[in-house]
Parts: sequence; structure tokens; C-alpha cells
Amino acid sequence: MFTNPTLRRGWHRCLAGVAALALAGSLATAPAQAATSEAPGDNVLRIATDGFIDSFNPFTSFYLLPTNTFRYMYENLVANDAKDGSVTEGLATEWNTDDDGLVWTYQMRPDMKWSDGEPLTSKDVAWTYTQMMEKDEMAVANGSLVENFDKVEAPDDDTLVITLKKPQANNPGQEIPIVPEHVWSKIDKPGDFKNDKDSVGSGPFQLESYEANKSVTLKANPNFWRGKPKLDEIQYRYYTNSDAQVQAIRSGEVDFITGLSPEQFSALDGAENVDLNDGHGRRFNGISINPGVADAKGKEFGTGAKALKDKKVRQAIRAGIDVETLRKQVMQDYAQPATSFIPAVYPNWALKSDNPVISGFDVKKAKKLLDDAGWKEGDDGIREKDGKTLTLRFLTDADAPIEQSTAKFLAPWMKDIGIDLKNESTDVDTVSERTTKGDYDMYFSGWSINPDPDYQLSINTCGQRPDAEGNGGTSQDGWCNKEFDKLYQAQHVELDQAKRQDLVQKALAIHYEEAPSVTLWYPNQLEAYRSDRFDNFTKQPTDGGAIANQVGYWGYASVEPVSDEDAAGGGGIGTGGWIGIVAGAIIVLGGGGWLLSRRKKSDDRE
Amino acid sequence: MSTPTHDDPRPGDPNQGPTGAGTGPAGKDTGPLTGGAASATGSTASATGSAGAAQTGPDRDMDEPPAGGSFTRYFLRKLGGAATSMILVVLLGFFAFRLLPGDPVLKIAKERPMSPAQIAELRSQYGLDKPVIVQFWDYLVGIVTGDLGESYVYRKPVASLIGEYLGPTLLLTATAAVIAIALGLWLGQLSAWRRNSLFDKVASSTSLIFWSVPTFWLGLILLMIFGGTLQWLPTGGMVTPSLEPWSAAAVVDVIKHLILPVITLVAVVYAQFLMVMRASLLEEMSEDYLTTARAKGLTEDEVRRKHAVPNALLPTVTVVFLHIGGLIAGAVTVEAVFSWPGLGKLTFEAIRGPDLPLLQGTFVVFSAIIILMNLAADLVYRFLDPRVRRA
Repeated sequence: MFTNPTLRRGWHRCLAGVAALALAGSLATAPAQAATSEAPGDNVLRIATDGFIDSFNPFTSFYLLPTNTFRYMYENLVANDAKDGSVTEGLATEWNTDDDGLVWTYQMRPDMKWSDGEPLTSKDVAWTYTQMMEKDEMAVANGSLVENFDKVEAPDDDTLVITLKKPQANNPGQEIPIVPEHVWSKIDKPGDFKNDKDSVGSGPFQLESYEANKSVTLKANPNFWRGKPKLDEIQYRYYTNSDAQVQAIRSGEVDFITGLSPEQFSALDGAENVDLNDGHGRRFNGISINPGVADAKGKEFGTGAKALKDKKVRQAIRAGIDVETLRKQVMQDYAQPATSFIPAVYPNWALKSDNPVISGFDVKKAKKLLDDAGWKEGDDGIREKDGKTLTLRFLTDADAPIEQSTAKFLAPWMKDIGIDLKNESTDVDTVSERTTKGDYDMYFSGWSINPDPDYQLSINTCGQRPDAEGNGGTSQDGWCNKEFDKLYQAQHVELDQAKRQDLVQKALAIHYEEAPSVTLWYPNQLEAYRSDRFDNFTKQPTDGGAIANQVGYWGYASVEPVSDEDAAGGGGIGTGGWIGIVAGAIIVLGGGGWLLSRRKKSDDRE
Repeated sequence: MSTPTHDDPRPGDPNQGPTGAGTGPAGKDTGPLTGGAASATGSTASATGSAGAAQTGPDRDMDEPPAGGSFTRYFLRKLGGAATSMILVVLLGFFAFRLLPGDPVLKIAKERPMSPAQIAELRSQYGLDKPVIVQFWDYLVGIVTGDLGESYVYRKPVASLIGEYLGPTLLLTATAAVIAIALGLWLGQLSAWRRNSLFDKVASSTSLIFWSVPTFWLGLILLMIFGGTLQWLPTGGMVTPSLEPWSAAAVVDVIKHLILPVITLVAVVYAQFLMVMRASLLEEMSEDYLTTARAKGLTEDEVRRKHAVPNALLPTVTVVFLHIGGLIAGAVTVEAVFSWPGLGKLTFEAIRGPDLPLLQGTFVVFSAIIILMNLAADLVYRFLDPRVRRA
């Protein structure tokens, strides 16, 4: 090909170098590949994920995927029921508390074993809690859950006693993964322990292997006290983008996906061998209204509009929003109507929809509220007071279609009642920074809520407000109300469930009435699974709930493979594909060969 | 680092750095490089070329041996440029990410029941409680000693993480590079030789259409057709988990996973090689040495392959080097679409974090690769093309 031998050699060398580079690349990647030796069987549930994993250390990891995995790997002292999230038996079968709610005594289930066959006793529980209480590095993930613990004792193998610093009504044995003392006490620096293979736990599945950005494999625990699960393995596979996940479930490469957008969910409707779950979620979305943020001592900071300090203006904003239309249009009805920040999947706590405080979309009322607050309509319809117009900023994430659509509906509705609403769409980090500094009037917000309302109520109390740098506390809306605080404290120690529910309802009603935020809806968790491979997923709540991201291990622990005849082969290249690829290879190789032969001939001629 | 291919010079751009320089008015001359035993055709061609073309001053000095000192000067100048770029990258790598809005710890703590004590513990673990100047000093010392810090998310040294993820990126980009270069150069020379033919028009415009298509979109379309609908090829990842590493099944599996990302990357980038080769060969085609070659009775094919193409390859080689750097950066998008576990995906995850040490690390490494490729392009070009030696 080259007249010049130097050039020819150089060119060949260059090609050889690139080829060597390619080979080195493939060599370098191969050893890091899957550790298990079996091929994936019919009894392996493959779940698509894009979750972060720092480690599988339950004391330090706080990302969503590891946290969900811990719920399968480690049983808690008490669990949260699949039915409605209420407290149910876990490692403990019974519990009681003294009259003050200060000393909690648990009776352990007898004859329990860890997944490695060692006995599981109350001493393991005491050791786990004590580690978190005594060492900072062991309190990174769940430290706040043991902050109120004074001491934990195991007088015998079947009994555990937790003594609290201050009384509390919320069962303290929830949501803390219990680890085996005989494994963890032998580790030098347990805070740095990765725990990413052959884990020992008491939950239905144990972590077998983990490969960063490739897969996570869990194996059934034969010693699980409720009985060995029917699935052999759960395998999380990495998919960076959610559209690829949708294609993967279509092609049968994965068996379960969650977190779909309404568009993706509708697109999968009618797909072969794919069943959909439109599950009620444990999250709320709302519009947070800056009520005049201040730090815990009451010193104001930020740039919030003064008008919003007036509760009437905030109430007018609520009355001016047609939440029902918004829910149907923006969420395409894939969301539940909302009352307050406790979602309807927790019926014991959520604010009852017949509570007299609840009011609907009412333009007349909104206008009257603004009139009463002293904001009079100007020539252009925008209200004015003391020479200032009622202009508000609405902070949204530019990459979130739902927030952008909401803003589009909101601006004309606000204009109708005389408020000039400007959408300031930016990136999610800027939203986070500006809201921390109080540099906003309104923003689109949302939280996921655990079965007990105590934490979410607590972050609405005055003491939880952070300082201007965002240090010191986590406040839901930067709001402070003394009467709410009293109700929070009362429910915090009320051991009578019925009375506690009543106190929570009163607290939520105050929050609603004061309107530091407008709860828009409880978004549904949209999921899909291969009906030709698996069934019997358990939802939480069992009636219409979600399968993934539960508080507990119900979702996959009950899953069963469907019979072999129904099971399709799943993805991969079909016969047609292989024919195409082989034909392509023949063309490429044949063409290359022909070119080579021609070159040879002409070389010979010279 | 996003869609970097589009930051590169567009094909056919007359101002394309080295290509422009290489395809200047000076006649192509293989003379000085032709060894004594080389074909007589080559010498004749060069002699004709030198004599025939109206040469500008410096080209008449063609046969002078290159001065040793000038190469050192040239090398030092290029090296200095590369070093300056690298220093800027290192500075930018620290400060640019510090200017990003949002606090990594608060972002992690967001919507989580975390007490102030837990947040403080995280801050100290990440070293964020130290003054910025101390953090900067630690970062500089780290860079010099090869320690890029520890990732917040993976809790591992950034350098070892990058090492782990480099392999898949090399596999993907090297495969794509080989195919794109071969395809581009081959189609490019055919297009030039048959300029204005139907073949030329179809080949050139097809490549430009692919070039203009957003990488992300093309990847997604291929993924939907061949992954979801036809179900011929996997929709993501590099290997099906639980296959025995290095088994025949695993190797076939990796190849299956490679096909779609490679096609995407090749489709988007091969145009630049095609256009450079085409332009470069067109330049050659008016040269007299080709007439001489024809006069000697060589067939058209032989004239093309033995005389025109080798000379046209000169400017092309540099462009190829330049674009290998760009290709590696281009992998960010493709890796994100196809969940390919490489450096691109690692960067994507680091941005989501935000994982500052990892972002800094990948930024510095990506930039270093591109700077090194540019330096290599300059040096190789000088080695290949004598005219640059005297510049």
C-alpha cells in the first residue's frame, strides 16, 4: 500500500499499537467480571437499577440502593407491616413499655439463627445498638435513631431492654439493621468495613457479591425465620438511563423495573409478558412557601418576600391553585389526591380528607384573602401594597418536566388572583443551595415518608430550623409555630395509639391552616415486571401499594417463579440476529480478503 | 466533556489545525523520506513534483538534512505548551468544581433523618471542614504524588477507581477508533478518487448526516430498535452477570454488548476521517507525479493506492491522533446511554453525586489524555512531514 517502507512500517506499527490497546482494554476489564459461576437460572429475579453504592456497611451507608438491600439482609428488632406500615414482629415477638414510655422491654423469638448457622440472641441486638451509641464512625447512617437511647441491656438471651433518655411513643426498635456480633466484633475498623461479599445476616436474602456499576447479587437465606424464600437469587443490574431499563424489560433482560415516568409507563401498557403496577407511594410533592425563614433562635435570613409572612397571602395561594386539575394534567392521574405531608398510604396518620380545615380551589376566596391582607388590585390586575407589587419567584428544577409543567399551570392561575409569579428554573443543586439560604419565595419540594410520622413532624418544629449556612438542623419548610410544637411534643410521648393519632391530626391541621406549604399530591410509584417469569410480588400497603423501596422486605421475599412452560427464553440475540451478524461478518471479512488479495497481486507486479 | 465530538473541528473545515497546514500550497514530496532502495517510481515522482510545481522559497531547501537543534527547540516548545495546559487543567480541576452550587454533604443529607452530629461527621470524613486553601494544598500534593484523593461515594482512592474503569473505556474506544479510522479513510479515498460521482455524494452526505445526529439520540434509537423491539442485542452493560470470566460464553457476551455502543460511536465520528482523507487526496490528485506514474503504465488503482493515498495519509495521521483523544471523551455520552461501565459512566455518576474528588480526578485524567494526544500528534507530524521540521 505504501511506496515508502518507513511509512509502511510506521503505519503497520500504528495499527498494531491500536490493536494492542484494544486487547489491553479487554484484558483489563475481564478479571473484574462476575464472580458467580452459575448461569442465571429461572429462579433469579433480575432488577434494573442505577443506584449509588458506597458500601454494604449498614452503619455507614445511606444511599437508597444499599439501604433497600439492608432491609432484605438484616432483620430489625421490630418490622413494619406490609399491610399499612404499622409496627409488627421482627426479631422480637412481643414488647412493652413502662407507663412513661421510657423503658422498652422486648421478648426475642427463640432458637433463631444467623445465615451462617450461629445462634442469634438479644446480645447481638445490644451490641449493634451500643456500637452506634458509642462510636461516631458507626453512627454515620442511622445515628439519629439511637440519639435518644440511654442504655441497652440484654439480661438474658431472649430479653432486650432499651432505656431512653426521654420518653417516646414511637417504637425505638424500628429501622436499625441488627448485625451479628460474632462477625462484626472481629473487624478492626468496622466503620471502614465494605461488607460486600458473603454477608452474614438474618433477613430473607444475603449479599453474595457486588461489582461496582455492574451488578449486585443476593442469595436466599435458608435460616430466615419466616422460612427460606422461593427465589434463589436477586440480581440487581446496572442501567444508567431509564429508557434503556424500559427496553430491557421489553426484551426480557431484566424482570423488574421501578421509578417509571408516566410516559414510559403508558408506553409499556400492552407489552408482551410485561405486567404493570401503579402503586401508591410513600412520598409527597408540594409547593413550599417561604414563611419568612429564620434560624432556630428566631433571627431571620434569606430573601423571601415579606408578603408571604402573612398567612392570608399563603392561604390565598393555596386557594388559587386548582390542585385536582394539576394532578390529572401534570401527573396524568398517576398520583393520589393529597391533604398534608403524611401520605394516604399511612391511613392511621394522614390528615383525614373530611377535616374541616381542608379547603379547595376557590378563586373568589383567594381574592378576598388578598384583599383582607391589604393587597389591592392595580391597573394591570397585579396587586399592590405600599407601592410594591405582589411579584413572587417560583424556583424549579429545569430538568424535571413535572416541575416545569406545574410552573406553566401556576403562573396564569396566580395572575387570575393578582399575583405575578415568575418561574426561575435552574439546576437541582442551585435549587438546593438557594432554598437552604432562604433565597426563594416558593419552590417545588417533596419528601419520602416512613411509617411513623414522628420524624417528619419533628422537622416542622421551631428547633429544627438551620442557620443561614444550612447548619444545625433540617427543616421541611423553615416554618415555626409554638402551638404545633406543643402538639408534636404531646404526640411524641403519647403511648395510647388512638390519642396519639388525634394529636397528630391536630398538628397536621395547624400546618394545613398556616400553609407554609401546599401539598399537591402523593405520586404513584410506577413499576413493571415480567409476568412470564415471576408472580406473587407483595405490595406495601398490600392494597394498591408499591413493590420496590418498601419499609421492610415484603416486595421480593414472597416472589415465586412461574412454571417453566410459561417462561420465555428472555433476551439475547435471536436466530435472525445471528444470521444478520454472521452475514455482516462474512461481508466484512470477504471484502477485506479481496482487498488483501488485490494488494498482494499488485505488490507482486512491482 | 459532553458530546466532545462536536467540539472538534468539523470535517471539511478549512481551518482544521494540522490538516490545513499539511495541505498547504507546497507540493507533496516524498523525496527526503525515500530510502535508497525504495522504488524508482517514488523518486521520480518526487523529483517531478519538486521541479514541476512553482515552489515557494523554503521548499527548495527540502533536501537539506534537518537541523538537530531545531528539533529540540520544537520539542521543548510543544512540551512547554502541553505542560502549561496541564497546569491550567490542574488548577481548573480544583476551582471549577468548587464553584458548583450546592453542598455535597447537604445533598447527601437531603430528605434523610440526619442529625447535625451526623452531618458534621460526614464533613470531617470528606475533609470539607478544612479551609479551602488547605484542601487545595492537599490536592496539589496529591496530584504530584499520584494520589487523586478518595471518592465520597465509592469510598475508594480515585486513582484506583479510574484504573478499574479505564479498561472498559479503552476496549470501547479502541474498537470504535479502529473501525472508524479504517472505514473513514477507506471511504474517504474512494470518494475523492471518484469525486462528484454518486458514490462520493452518498458516502459523504451519509457520513455528515451521522455526524450531525446527537450521539445520545442515535444511541437510544439503536437501543430501542435492536435491543427492545428486535431483541437481537443487549440493552446495556458490558457482560451478563454470573458468566464465568474469560469463558467462551463471556467473550461472546462482551462482543454482543460491544456492538451497539461501537456502532453509535463509529457512526458519529467516522465522518471526520472520511472528510480529511477525501480533502487530502483531492489535493494530491492534481499533482504531476501522478501523471508520471500513469505515464509509466500503472493502472488507475495502482496510481491511487501506491502513490496518491500514501501521500494523502500524511496530514490524515495527525488528525487521527487528535481525534483519539476526542473519542475517549466522546465515550461519556455513549457509556451513559448503554450503561457501559467505563470512565464515562464513572464521570456521569460523579456529576450526579456530586463526588468532588472523583470529578476532579476524571477531569484531570481526561484532559491529560487529550493533551498527550495533541502532543503526540505534533511530534508524529513532525516526524512524518519534513516540512514541519524546519518550521
